[in-house]
Amino acid sequence: MQSILNSMRTLALRQSTGDAIRRLHLSAVNEAARKGTREKARKKKVKVEVKKVGFIPHNQRNKKINVKRADKHVDDSWKQVPKDDCYVGRYYRWPVYSVAEAIQCHRETHHPSMYNVPTAPLNVDIELNMQGEKATRFVDNFQRMAMIPHKFEHGEERKIIVFTKGNNEIVEAREAGASLVGGVELIKDITSGELLLSDYQYIIAHPNILPELVALRGLMKRKFPNPKSETLGANLAEMIVKFSNGISYSAAKDEYQQNFGLITASVGTLDMDEQKLEENIKFLLQDVNSMRPKREGRFITRVLLKSPPSSEQLKIDPFVYVPEMWEKSSAKVKKEEAKKQEEPTEAKEAVAAAN
Amino acid sequence: MLKSIYVTPLNLLKSASTVQQQVRTTFILKRKYDPPLHKTNEKPRRMRAKHFIYELVEDTLVKKRPNMQVVLKTFVEGVGDKGDVVSMKPHFVYNKLLLPGLAAYNTPENVAKYAKTEAEKSAVKHSSAYAQRTVNMLESIVLAVVMNKDEPWVLEPWHIKASLRKAGFHCREECITLPKERIEGPDLKKENKDFYCTITINKLEQAKLKCRLHHWSTDPSERLPYVLEHWKMESEPLLNVGLPEKSPETTQ
Repeated sequence: MQSILNSMRTLALRQSTGDAIRRLHLSAVNEAARKGTREKARKKKVKVEVKKVGFIPHNQRNKKINVKRADKHVDDSWKQVPKDDCYVGRYYRWPVYSVAEAIQCHRETHHPSMYNVPTAPLNVDIELNMQGEKATRFVDNFQRMAMIPHKFEHGEERKIIVFTKGNNEIVEAREAGASLVGGVELIKDITSGELLLSDYQYIIAHPNILPELVALRGLMKRKFPNPKSETLGANLAEMIVKFSNGISYSAAKDEYQQNFGLITASVGTLDMDEQKLEENIKFLLQDVNSMRPKREGRFITRVLLKSPPSSEQLKIDPFVYVPEMWEKSSAKVKKEEAKKQEEPTEAKEAVAAAN
Repeated sequence: MLKSIYVTPLNLLKSASTVQQQVRTTFILKRKYDPPLHKTNEKPRRMRAKHFIYELVEDTLVKKRPNMQVVLKTFVEGVGDKGDVVSMKPHFVYNKLLLPGLAAYNTPENVAKYAKTEAEKSAVKHSSAYAQRTVNMLESIVLAVVMNKDEPWVLEPWHIKASLRKAGFHCREECITLPKERIEGPDLKKENKDFYCTITINKLEQAKLKCRLHHWSTDPSERLPYVLEHWKMESEPLLNVGLPEKSPETTQ
């Protein structure tokens, strides 16, 4: 009796535990899914094909990935200042030359007894910190024309077309060296297609012809005269001289380092007078500095003087010619006034330094 | 008998100095899980296993040590002159200055002991800490002096100055002493021939600089064929050109 009771109790207990029941396969939990369901699931699975990538030559690999690049803004201020009169350059800071000294160094290497290229062009490399007013914003690439006081053979063909109504101005513009000067009749020629605007690199206009010139806006597009790019104004002769003799330069950001900009421009030839070259450099630097963003810190970071075929690059101090830091308090108008007053004194200082 | 033999080694063992050195085994840790707060005047609650899990804040073994100051006993190239108190990295100080006996710790006694005497001050041997390094580097290079192939020239000190500048050495013209014989050109017999000139640094140290003449033409088609790494090739001295005269300072 006792044994029967015991066995019944165990049965009752066993039924209560779900685990044991599952082991006995009493329910349909583990039964196969319908055939259709399985096929559907199989179709859903996307086969991931692993593409085999063969060897890619190093020069054809994507350069933007996984390459650590050195900062292009070179800072050697941690290095020592040389004290000896003969020293190994690589252990010390770069020497900073004055423009006259740097030109003298280039003249030495280009002397007839060495490279024999005394008329080599003198190039200026201006390195810029292109960071804008915010850390994530950068100054756009820009292309400008710097007016220089001493002209030289820049080797470019620059054709200038001038639009004006006044007879005196037409004569004035012709004397200044414009390739083509005209008024309303010139506009008619262009609209009829007898004259091609694309033959001319620069378009200058006097304000008195502006209402008629609007007809050509579509043809000129970005070249349409405007006072901001200084192609529209009353002083035609000055503008023509500027565009025929000025230094055309463009600042380009580095492909991989957005805050590094570089300007390469020629300011003259080595056989020119040192003071003339220095003034050209000064005007170029001042023109570059006019593009400075409204932020703290330097815009022009380094200026190097080069002269092919020599590979020498000589560092000069640009802050003799332009202010190093941005003055926050002074308004733009005030700045311009101050610049006009400073210029003569600066020129005097430069002359004194050269002497 | 036996005892007497063993006395010395035992003594040696004993006398081995037990240098009290600082052992840098300090690790600054932080608890990952804060232990619970307890009530005032009560026992703190028992901490559980997770309260003994730590995070490393700083390992003092790998911390950068500050510079060390030592007094130099002699002139050390690239460091300083005798009696100078210099501040350098501790490992450099220990291995290169203290162990070879070139310097002593910076104490007032040592500063007084190793200060330069009047006699030593007057007999200057080195003009600066790095002049000797410049001398060594100048003597180890073969300077390429590139002269024109078409225009007549006579070698002058500023030619060497410009060539040195191209090679990364900055030097004044007064420092350069050429051999007293005139070196003229263009002469293709002198191509790839050596001569020596003397560089005087700070009017004191003298370096013998080996120069090699090369001819260069402005017109690319006239140029001589390019020689790769000419300084590794053997070459002959320039005929009839001797060593530059020694300056009177060194002959005295």
